[in-house]
Amino acid sequence: MLLFGLDLDYVAAIVLFCVGLYMLVAKSNLLKKLLGLNVMETAVFAFIVTAGMIEGGDPPIMVQGTSAPFASPIPHAMVLTGIVVAVSVTAVALALIVQIHAHYGTIEVDELKELP
Amino acid sequence: MSDVFDAVMLALLIATAVTVARARDLLAAVVIFSMYSLTLCLVWQHRGAPDVAMTEAAVGAGVTSVLFLITIARTTRQEKP
Amino acid sequence: MRPWSLLLVALVALPLIVGVAGLPRHDAPDAPIHTHVGTRYLERGVAETGFKNMVTAVLLNYRGFDTFVEVVVIFTALAAVLALPRGETADPDHAPGQRAPADDATGAPEPGDDAVATAAVPATSGPRDGSDAGRAHEVVPVSPVVLFVVRILAPFLSMFALAMLFRGHITPGGGFQAAAVFGAVFIALGLVFGLGRVARLMPTGLQPWLQAAGPLAFVFVAWFGWRLTGFFLGFPIDDHTTQEGMGFVLEVAIGVGGGVILARLFLSMEA
Repeated sequence: MLLFGLDLDYVAAIVLFCVGLYMLVAKSNLLKKLLGLNVMETAVFAFIVTAGMIEGGDPPIMVQGTSAPFASPIPHAMVLTGIVVAVSVTAVALALIVQIHAHYGTIEVDELKELP
Repeated sequence: MSDVFDAVMLALLIATAVTVARARDLLAAVVIFSMYSLTLCLVWQHRGAPDVAMTEAAVGAGVTSVLFLITIARTTRQEKP
Repeated sequence: MRPWSLLLVALVALPLIVGVAGLPRHDAPDAPIHTHVGTRYLERGVAETGFKNMVTAVLLNYRGFDTFVEVVVIFTALAAVLALPRGETADPDHAPGQRAPADDATGAPEPGDDAVATAAVPATSGPRDGSDAGRAHEVVPVSPVVLFVVRILAPFLSMFALAMLFRGHITPGGGFQAAAVFGAVFIALGLVFGLGRVARLMPTGLQPWLQAAGPLAFVFVAWFGWRLTGFFLGFPIDDHTTQEGMGFVLEVAIGVGGGVILARLFLSMEA
């Protein structure tokens, strides 16, 4: 993309990562923290896939419609694995949040810190 | 032309991510998060990654958002400021 | 806006942006990502593996161990979610909210309640919600538009998932995509028609084996590859038929296993 000294696609991924990091660190609600973690994970995936692009590149699938140059297939494979890991982490975290709410009645970290 | 598409999509990504951070109603936050996921899927399709786009569309809008909605139904809906 | 968190985020952002400034332009053809092992996979991939979809070839063949560990990861996540105590087993002395009385079960989807599709929409579901005590739990009946659309689309979605599964080695698709779509179809049906009807789709005796289908199939194919080539999870290079067969078994296991795991995650959280 455009290049004002920095590659804007990479910078957008970093900005998304920082938005997710802010949600993870600053928000008090556990669900917001988990949403921030998901935003961080998808920002990293976007960065990795963008790094595998090539100019005028086609998807790395060798059928009649596509021709060289191809986008690199290794980032795609890594990101597919990463998406599955993200879903797993989200599912376990959500089950834990439900249990925390059932046990303590609140999912705000500020209130959970005050409990005896 | 594809540069303009790219720029608009990236701006939309950042705008939706910031809106997820600022929404007080958790249901609104999850719905906007699934919109973020769909925009990301379109970005990946534009970058020549159809496998990743299909997986992200099915997982982000299908599975993750529904699990979040079930959790909101069993816990609270509003975030305390 | 908390100032210390903003400071931390700025401290993280700055080295990242400085580091990214040193990277080559992201679609430069001479970037290192395109000149090392990636070109070997692209040039010799079809001849060596027999797959046309390079991403599937990298996932199952060249980097098969990563996929092996990843199916173990998602299986472990399901095991962790199932290991947590079920339902509202909180100690009644500790929960500050009042639990709604048990006879207020107007909205809970009972198994067998399939005459009228009034499955409760999750946003207002269930009398188990201790924190919003006192609020009337109304049941929102599912709109007939949603019912109709889900009924019509569900078989086509399942066929699409099967097509992605079987043609994953020649078109975009593959095991995970099919698993995600299977899980999404199950979730859509479960939300619209109620859990009672949809839980019958999953055979209870076979379920643990289906959930473990991913890791088990990988171990079996790895043993088979060891017998053929002498390497654990080794694919015989010149025998395209055997390679396609092994890849097919792996993809079906990932697709079916992943789909059943996602469906079970949904069931365990909703019930």
